Amino acid sequence: MPRRGKIFALLLAVLIVIFAAGCEPEQAVTGQPPQVSPAEKQPSPPAAEKTMQVTVYFATKDAMYLVPETRTVPKSDKPIEAAVAELLGEPKNAALVRALPAGTKLKGITVKDHIAYVDFNDKLVKGHGGSAGEILAVGAIVNTVTEFADIYKVQIMVEGKKVATLYGHLDTSEPLSRSEKIVKKTL
Amino acid sequence: MLRRVLCFAFLIALLAVSQVGYAAKAATSLQTNEQAGKRLLAVIKTAGASTAPGREQLTQIRWANHIDAVTGAGRLRIVIDATGPVQAAGSLEAATTPRLVVNVKGAVPGQTDCDLTLDGRIADSVTMKADDGKNTVIVVDMPLLADEDGYKVFTLPQDPANKKPFRVVIDINQPFPPIKFNFTPGLKGKTIVIDPGHGGSDPGAIGLSGLQEKAVNLAVSLRVKALLDKAGAKVLMTRQDDRDVFGPNASAVDELKARASVANFKKADIFVSIHANAATNRDADGTTTYYFQKTRYDSLLARNLQAGMVQAVGLKDKGFLTANFYVIKRTIMPAALVELAFLSNPAEEKLLANPQIQQKMAEGIVQGMERFFAQAAKGGEQ
Repeated sequence: MPRRGKIFALLLAVLIVIFAAGCEPEQAVTGQPPQVSPAEKQPSPPAAEKTMQVTVYFATKDAMYLVPETRTVPKSDKPIEAAVAELLGEPKNAALVRALPAGTKLKGITVKDHIAYVDFNDKLVKGHGGSAGEILAVGAIVNTVTEFADIYKVQIMVEGKKVATLYGHLDTSEPLSRSEKIVKKTL
Repeated sequence: MLRRVLCFAFLIALLAVSQVGYAAKAATSLQTNEQAGKRLLAVIKTAGASTAPGREQLTQIRWANHIDAVTGAGRLRIVIDATGPVQAAGSLEAATTPRLVVNVKGAVPGQTDCDLTLDGRIADSVTMKADDGKNTVIVVDMPLLADEDGYKVFTLPQDPANKKPFRVVIDINQPFPPIKFNFTPGLKGKTIVIDPGHGGSDPGAIGLSGLQEKAVNLAVSLRVKALLDKAGAKVLMTRQDDRDVFGPNASAVDELKARASVANFKKADIFVSIHANAATNRDADGTTTYYFQKTRYDSLLARNLQAGMVQAVGLKDKGFLTANFYVIKRTIMPAALVELAFLSNPAEEKLLANPQIQQKMAEGIVQGMERFFAQAAKGGEQ
């Protein structure tokens, strides 16, 4: 027991040192820390170790916009996969609906040169969707995955192959960057 | 033992720090792409070079083209790292060759000169030269002059959480190609391509009662054709019956290319694709028109088609919106894709199946076209 206490103390100390150093490398502790995220404000190391936050996008009921939802999920060494798993689930907000067809499953994600190649099963393209559905699906995938700082663009794949279009309207033949125009921050 | 514990704690702390990075990222989503330059194309300064006080250095330059996932708007982002805070401002020059000149005050290039070759999509090259021994002039050469409000030059502060230094950012939006259109009022003599969406092996959206989008699209398109024929326009249909335009079970892109090609080969005045919408939520309803602003007239066409349909049919007006849609992007002439109503909405599915409503929709589209030509003849929106 005492040893565990010591580990936590050390951990906390290291965390504090690193946060301080990371925020203001030249001015030591006196400087104003930049924007503090909620997770940082109440550092409870055990919780911080086990969970992480992901932001995923769901559709408004009029099929016009995407709205972000932030989720706390178990920490994973595959955080993008974890975020997409949330995207494939149901929204918490009853005013929102899922942007991807039911039954869509993630097959895998590879990242190269800051482009994420996100591969789904063919349920993604078998939703008989229209323009609105296609825009929401593509926007939700790209915006969710580009929430990660290292991902600049997303290439959507189906069953291991690039898809030129999901439902016959949008051009998805090349890697796409996030779209802010479709995002509504609050309902 | 202690060392092992420290080591473990350090690893955990690193993980926690990267986590904070994600959280900060989520808070300011746009910042995600502030570091947009994906490939490191030039290292201007070698590591460890000393920086004189009050004189910062520009150390790295990188660039990336971005395509907005929804609107398809193209944007080039050039990011230049600096050792400290700098000021930057840009101005367009049309003389000799189109270029954007960016003056960076308070920093010199880490290396004497720097030339960077880009892909030519929005810019051909970037050159960087010291100016006065304390400032830098960056010249971005482009094939087509950017629009006056189509570029942005700004600086970003240091971002330790994401390990980013001070940065100068140059954003340039893809400008329109300078294609001239001389529109005259009226429908008579105009070449108009009507594209009934989907068809053949591709049913498009399917309503709850089984109505297929391809059938609705064709029915309304044929009514539009009849009205335009009467008005003296030359109408070309990408399909006149239930078939694939390229060929049965062709790839989606071949199919879409074939539709755009019809209009491009025949030098049509306008291209209008007719569709019925669908969404996962069956309550979603209304009329929408999409465009891709590749000429000065695409939004004008979309606006008039939308107004015509809303006036004639009276469904919810969801507006005219930009979208990265294949057929309206790859056609050379002004183009729009109309979404008559939501086939996924049971009430609107009934309307879409009703021949009288189909006729009204067609009338609204033709009225919209007529108003478009009248306004475009006056020079459009510009």
